[in-house]
Amino acid sequence: MTDSLLSIRDLTVRFRLPQGETVAVDGVSLDLSPGEVLGIVGESGSGKSQILYAMMGLLAANGRASGQVSFQGQNLLALPPGDLDRVRGDALSMIFQDPMTSLNPYMRVGDQLAEGLIVHKGMAGTQARAEAVRMLDRVRIPDAAARARRFPHEFSGGMRQRVMIAMALLAKPRLLLADEPTTALDVTIQAQVLDLMAELGRETGTAIILVTHDLGVVARLCDRVVVLYGGRVMEEAPAEVLFDAPAHPYTRGLLAAMPRLETALTPRLGTIPGTPRSGGAVTGCPFVDRCEVRLPRCATDRPPLRDLTAFGPGRRAACHLTGVS
Amino acid sequence: MLRFIGKRLWHGGLTLAALVTLTFFVMRLAPGGPFSRNRKISPEVQANIEAAFHLDEPIWQQFGRFVWGVLRLDLGPSTRHRDYSVNDLIASGLPYSLTIGFWAVVVAAMVGVALGLAGALRRNSATDYLAGIVGVVGIAIPIFVIGPLLQATFALRLDWLPVGGINNGWHSLILPVVVLALPNIAYISRLTRTSMIETQRENYIRTARAKGIGWRRVLWRHTLTGALLPVIAYLGPATAAIITGSILIETIFAVPGIGRHFVDAALNRDYPLVMGITLLYGGILILFNIATDVIRAVLDPRIRNER
Amino acid sequence: MSVDLAPPRGISTFALQLRRFRQNGLSMASVVVLAAIVALCFLGPLAFPFTGEDADFDFISAPATFSWPHLFGTDDFGRDLLVRVLEGGQVSLTIGFLGALVAGVIGVLYGAAAGYVGGRADGLMMRVVEILYGFPYVILVILLSLLFGGGNIALFAAIVFTLWLTPAVIVRAQAQSLAQREFVQAARAGGMTGPAIVLQHIVPNCMSIVIVYGSLLVPEVILSESFLSFLGIGIKEPQASWGNLIQTGTAAMDTDLRLLLLPGGLLATVLLCLNFIADGLRDAFNPNDR
Repeated sequence: MTDSLLSIRDLTVRFRLPQGETVAVDGVSLDLSPGEVLGIVGESGSGKSQILYAMMGLLAANGRASGQVSFQGQNLLALPPGDLDRVRGDALSMIFQDPMTSLNPYMRVGDQLAEGLIVHKGMAGTQARAEAVRMLDRVRIPDAAARARRFPHEFSGGMRQRVMIAMALLAKPRLLLADEPTTALDVTIQAQVLDLMAELGRETGTAIILVTHDLGVVARLCDRVVVLYGGRVMEEAPAEVLFDAPAHPYTRGLLAAMPRLETALTPRLGTIPGTPRSGGAVTGCPFVDRCEVRLPRCATDRPPLRDLTAFGPGRRAACHLTGVS
Repeated sequence: MLRFIGKRLWHGGLTLAALVTLTFFVMRLAPGGPFSRNRKISPEVQANIEAAFHLDEPIWQQFGRFVWGVLRLDLGPSTRHRDYSVNDLIASGLPYSLTIGFWAVVVAAMVGVALGLAGALRRNSATDYLAGIVGVVGIAIPIFVIGPLLQATFALRLDWLPVGGINNGWHSLILPVVVLALPNIAYISRLTRTSMIETQRENYIRTARAKGIGWRRVLWRHTLTGALLPVIAYLGPATAAIITGSILIETIFAVPGIGRHFVDAALNRDYPLVMGITLLYGGILILFNIATDVIRAVLDPRIRNER
Repeated sequence: MSVDLAPPRGISTFALQLRRFRQNGLSMASVVVLAAIVALCFLGPLAFPFTGEDADFDFISAPATFSWPHLFGTDDFGRDLLVRVLEGGQVSLTIGFLGALVAGVIGVLYGAAAGYVGGRADGLMMRVVEILYGFPYVILVILLSLLFGGGNIALFAAIVFTLWLTPAVIVRAQAQSLAQREFVQAARAGGMTGPAIVLQHIVPNCMSIVIVYGSLLVPEVILSESFLSFLGIGIKEPQASWGNLIQTGTAAMDTDLRLLLLPGGLLATVLLCLNFIADGLRDAFNPNDR
């Protein structure tokens, strides 16, 4: 773990609501090496996006993050706003879910890109804009020089997300956070956009954390996967292993609910019964209500996240049933 | 952009034409004329007067004459102040009205935006509550209540400012401008506050913050444009409110502006003067609506590209 | 049957909105104060043995001594000030609520029809609204009240005529999107006529937005009425209205501020309450706008 780029320890995110406090992320720990692509998967409300927002200091006003997020030797959660601004947009950048609303409608696309370079790299306006055009060209925006002088509403959804990718990668960050970057796009261009992001990431040596609920996307792009449920890590594994041999009952449920070519003839796709419980501190396993193989103590004892050496290297799971045998 | 302005001008012209027509027929159909009340005059004199004001012609001919006059910016003589033309009367009152209106707009915009921004940036602070109170008071207490109250306090009791009139230089301006600005300060500060809070929740502001460009740059380059657009859009209606207000202000503070002329003309059925001032007000309002649309289009490329 | 076709948002949503409104302390207090003022204006004068137009020559310009029978004194005609203010309130409040109602109904029907029909008719109808919007509002009211020959009815008609535009525009936008919804198309497929669809499906589904904007119309109408009466164009002496009472009070303010404060204070209180109620309704109907 000495070459770790990012190390998250016991990250917890709480929100104050009129009804009381709710815990969105519950003691998550993660490590990431330079250039690695990590997938975080989970259902809506599993807290996966909030991990990214907490790292960027972009939580909603009623949200609080605790724990430690060490990025390049700095604890992001403890940085004063000015120092955080020197990190985000430079070594650490982010792509958001909805490209239609994530670009400033009143500003020319080229200016929006150049802005980060002017502030972080101290470039002159013309130089920064030229750099922006070059980057737009690399994300395959046709006629980039002319397009840079246009406004966001003149771009399609897929093009806007490519603009967002260009904006995020322009400063050659060490780590790129991508929050469901393709859910708002047409299925036909999702793969295109993702491949582009991964390709450019490889070229610049940028590590990526990709948050998604789409296991297909994870299988395509990720080196390693973290499965999140109820704000907690359920399982962690190298991508190729996870799909062949899931260790956690929740992961198995997720995989059964995913359409595949080999199983195309089975009449019915699997579903996980029940709905995720929302908020609140849980004493036992958060998945207990919906688990088909639960034990009595699952409701009372919280299963710790354990290394599963028997399953292979780099594997962890939080389940009373795995790792015991 | 030129096409956009052209279209707005065309719509404005259409509105003005409708206003000219409506004003003319309303004035002709309205019961009672300037010469039909309170006066016993011989039929010959009646006929002479009617001939002088072309009241003996068929109505379409009068309308034609009226439109022709409007096109030449000649609105004929006032029927009450016989020695003056409508143009003379407007020219004598307009400077006062414009001065008060101009300063009221400036004060309202600056104070309103400042209060709204302060409230939105420091929500639930003392400034925010102060702005809230000003907002509520300015909207709920009408000009014709607050105006006389301030007059009674600052002019009659404390004797700091003149009660009214126009003879004390800028001292005469203070009360009218403050009272006229007050409701607009209220609207503008409320509008600025909500719009600012809404804009701060926009996804593109989150993107800007994620770029690490510092909160000042986020505020000045990203948040303010979006937040002030609705405020700019309010400039059009604000003009209307200022016109409305100036009629009251000139009555309360005895300013011989066109608002005062308008009320007198309406009460005395001085039709040419009523029509002239109506058209002037309509023209000003239309002009400001167009100007507002153009400013918004400059700031918001999406409006510019409409059709 | 038509009721069954409507989407399931009627009663339960409305009850929820009503509950949210009740939780708003300021708005509820405003409702109570407003109700008290309305009751006072309409019932109060009955307690006195004279009307606001009766002159009492034993008490001319009597000061406010809070003693029977002239609690707040009399004006320079010997008319009881309190009774005049309450009677003026009857006029102002009646015109306010009735005017808002009539303007609202006209606007809703016009807007719903334009939005539902769409196409050329809609374009033409909205162009009319746009042109009227281009007029300076007060000027239009003054012109119209001159046209209708002055008096209460003329004043009322002029105010209504100028205030139906905003509800029309708002409802039209809502109706336009409603016309595309499945339940309206189902009703059309089921053979309902256009007017029936507008009345039974479009209008009820615009109600919440109409209530919110309608609540803002009431203070606007009251303000317009008192504005015109203040200028001497609206309701005229000897009949009282808050507007002309304030005008009288202004004329006498260097000697006696009470003639201004009583009607002015009541008018401001009513406008304040109506604004708080409108705010509460807006928050209750769109909780996300706060």
